[in-house]
Amino acid sequence: MSYEMIAIVMFAGMMLMLMTGQRVFGAIGFVGALAGLMLWGTGGSEIPFSAAMKLMKWYPLLTLPMFIFMGYVLSESKIADDLYKMFHVWMGPVQGGLAIGTIGLMVLISAMNGLSVAGMAIGATIALPELLRRGYDKIMVTGVIQAGSSLGILVPPSVVLVLYAMIARQPVGQLWLAGVVPGLMMAAMFILYIYVRCRIQPHLGPVLPEEERNVPMSEKLRLLRAGLLPLVIFATMMVPFVNGWTSLVESSAIGAMTAFVAAILKGRMTREVFETSVRSTLAISCMFMWIILAALGFGAIFDGLGAVKAIEDLFTTQLGLSPWMILILMQLSFILMGTFLDDTAMLVIVAPLYVPLVGALGFDLIWYGVLYTITTQIAYMTPPFGYNLFLMRAMAPPEIGLRDIYWSIIPFALVMVLALSLVMIFPEIALWLPDYVYGK
Amino acid sequence: MPRFILRYIRAIEALNRFIGRIAMYLIFVLVGVLLWSSISKTFFVPSMWTLETAQFVMVAYYVLGGPYSIQMGSNVRMDLFYGGWSLKTKAWMDAFTVFFLMFYLGVLLYGAVSSTAYSLGYFGMEPFDFFWGLLKTLLTEGPGATGEKLGYLERSSTAWRPHLWPIKTILCTGVLLMLLQCLAELFRDIGRIRGVEL
Amino acid sequence: QSTIKWRMQTYAGAALAEHVVKPAIDMFNTIAGDRMQIELFYADQLVPTGELFRAMQRGTIDAVQSDDDSMASPTEVTVFGGYFPFGSRYSLDVPVLFNQYGLNEIWDEEYSKVGVKHISAGAWDPCHFATKEPIHSLADLKGKRVFTFPTAGRFLSQFGVVPVTLPWEDIEVAMQTGELDGVAWSGITEDYTVGWADVTDYFLTNNISGAWAGSFFANQGRWNELPEDLQTLFRVCCDQSHYYRQWWYWGGEASLRVDGTKMKLTTIPDAEWAQVEEAAVKFWDEIAAESPTKAKVVEIFKKYNADMQKAGRPYRYG
Ligand code: NA
Ligand code: NA
Repeated sequence: MSYEMIAIVMFAGMMLMLMTGQRVFGAIGFVGALAGLMLWGTGGSEIPFSAAMKLMKWYPLLTLPMFIFMGYVLSESKIADDLYKMFHVWMGPVQGGLAIGTIGLMVLISAMNGLSVAGMAIGATIALPELLRRGYDKIMVTGVIQAGSSLGILVPPSVVLVLYAMIARQPVGQLWLAGVVPGLMMAAMFILYIYVRCRIQPHLGPVLPEEERNVPMSEKLRLLRAGLLPLVIFATMMVPFVNGWTSLVESSAIGAMTAFVAAILKGRMTREVFETSVRSTLAISCMFMWIILAALGFGAIFDGLGAVKAIEDLFTTQLGLSPWMILILMQLSFILMGTFLDDTAMLVIVAPLYVPLVGALGFDLIWYGVLYTITTQIAYMTPPFGYNLFLMRAMAPPEIGLRDIYWSIIPFALVMVLALSLVMIFPEIALWLPDYVYGK
Repeated sequence: MPRFILRYIRAIEALNRFIGRIAMYLIFVLVGVLLWSSISKTFFVPSMWTLETAQFVMVAYYVLGGPYSIQMGSNVRMDLFYGGWSLKTKAWMDAFTVFFLMFYLGVLLYGAVSSTAYSLGYFGMEPFDFFWGLLKTLLTEGPGATGEKLGYLERSSTAWRPHLWPIKTILCTGVLLMLLQCLAELFRDIGRIRGVEL
Repeated sequence: QSTIKWRMQTYAGAALAEHVVKPAIDMFNTIAGDRMQIELFYADQLVPTGELFRAMQRGTIDAVQSDDDSMASPTEVTVFGGYFPFGSRYSLDVPVLFNQYGLNEIWDEEYSKVGVKHISAGAWDPCHFATKEPIHSLADLKGKRVFTFPTAGRFLSQFGVVPVTLPWEDIEVAMQTGELDGVAWSGITEDYTVGWADVTDYFLTNNISGAWAGSFFANQGRWNELPEDLQTLFRVCCDQSHYYRQWWYWGGEASLRVDGTKMKLTTIPDAEWAQVEEAAVKFWDEIAAESPTKAKVVEIFKKYNADMQKAGRPYRYG
């Protein structure tokens, strides 16, 4: 079989397997294992397992359970409740203010954990019911929470950028810093969109009723203190890391421990919260790890059979495109694949194909890391297949249907595409901060 | 459904739940090892074993917790079509496609057993025969003789040089339990097709 | 007749492999043409380096370029591959030890026992420290987390160095994430070539070994299947690869010390460094006590170094 044929058969086989609805890791693992047995020759049957040893040595993966645990402690123990109240009270009097406050909440949550799961859980359980009760438009608020929680992987700490760093061999510190300005810019763009939309259609985001707005100033100031917690957690994690006192994986453990201790000190770590956080951390970590395990095996077999060469050849010589055309085509293919492929699988299978190519075309790989992250965020959110969509469906109250969730995404996805274009056209948006701090 | 199938499902799920619930607390072991790593680094001489130990713990965590995560239904599926199907259609499809999953796990298990045999000093191509031989020796001649049948024990290529057979054995166990769990899932699906929730 | 295809994985990442192996494999492929093609894969690309030996012995990978130590080969000679502390002073020592002092025969015997063909050993660069903080004394080494070879790490740990082994390709990032404080893995040529000079600031001119010993290996069955002329061609290309490295490293080490701008040079005074050399003598004896084969190899190292000492300049100074 030619290299091209192997690439096509393996990819198509994987897509087909995924469509059956079998667990993603099983679908990917099966295609890899079968190709290993049939096409590799002697010893091909050993590769799926040797991927387990590869995964074991991939040390940044140690941060994954840490950040997941941290996220669950934050959301389950409801220590974010006070944060929500803070935004609620301060932003209530503005048209659409609660939705704007929710984006603010999401930014703070993002600074405390590395995935979008926690933001989604907090948004769906704390913010969503409140917003609906105040007569906010259900389609809009569903979109707000999904868009807001996606900031989790762009604002540091970010697990996606850690995994990207490993694939692209780029410094994690610089990548994390590169995500800050685009992340805040995107949050600002969401806020602007909500504000303008609510000015035009006031019924989408009504102002809080008079009696709820009458909060004494002292109470308002007291609530402001809630904002300290995220700062403390962010600082205990990031300060030792940026100063080189602790390593990345050690910092993630410190972050997880700080969140855990904070929940205990606030008296929120009940037996039930403990049980749910620990169990859900296992569930989600296992989900990620098994997909990465299967995808690493698939990737090694795909590579060893020459399919990687076929894809590189297709992009660089056969299509005869300019570097920018290739880059845009890649981003589009990510969004397209994001409709089929799980995000983790996409990162482990597709990114290793594309990233070296992007480097070879002469683009900055730190900048591309940010583009990549925004693109995957869009891919996670876009129907029919998106991890955020699943979570939302699982967590949303019953009155929010699948159609609402799908519709809710459109305006925010467009805002994100706009943000993506801005970062593409003006790389300084991403690169200014890391350049400033690391003094390139 | 025959009684033994019901018993099988109960037994395997109880076992996997038990092991998974122990594995679930490994998150604290992981946090502990990494915290010790930062403390020893800041105040004393850093330890040589922390990173590798953390990696072993992480492997045990996800591989022994895997079957329990299947029980919890936390492994994502692409539900573009799947999501819209009835429970019965899902059961039909799963009863069929779970064999693909089990095939993958089978290949994984074969690799794990072969690699574990290697880590105990067996360089041949028949790892199952090797373990069978070990078992027979253990039963007939006792542990001393079994130890002598082992060859060069594989060590990790680090300065700490831990033996690798323990973590590889854990991997074998986890993958095997995963396979047994999938078989239980298959039986459940067959039940659903016949209209019984097992 | 169809083309013979081999998969070969090197211990080196892409940037380093560009020099230490790719030219030789390209040459092999050009000459062998339709008869045989070798596909080269880099560090950890198909299997992790720790699994390299097993993968080759099992036939998953047909050929390997690595040192015995990094790929954890289950032989008596593993500790001597890579950087055996003070085993050699110059890169020419390695081929002399193998070709004239009998190491080839021992290696051949040891690898035949485990189903692997040892094809040819060659020399790489000396082993220096590249660190974020300057090293002026042995005390400065204390507590430094350093990426190094397993045996070198075992040896260095008595000076408070904390040896860390990570996938080769992850080293640059690990320096930045704080997982590592430095590397003791190469000479200055490699530090510049693979990008480590960008993430470290200091280069220690003292070394614990003058040359790394690494080899080309193949799966025994696969090697036996090759016709004799292709076996010979493969050996010739390996030798070409050894030759390339002789001048590439030797020249690079000198010119980057003189003209390099990314790393500052530091030195531990000879009198203090003598402690490390003394410790190595003890380390050799410890290793020799482990088995008769190891004792034999240590004996050869001792004899060789004594001969060089007697030969005087330029073989040994002082
Ligand atoms: Na984040
Ligand atoms: Na080297």
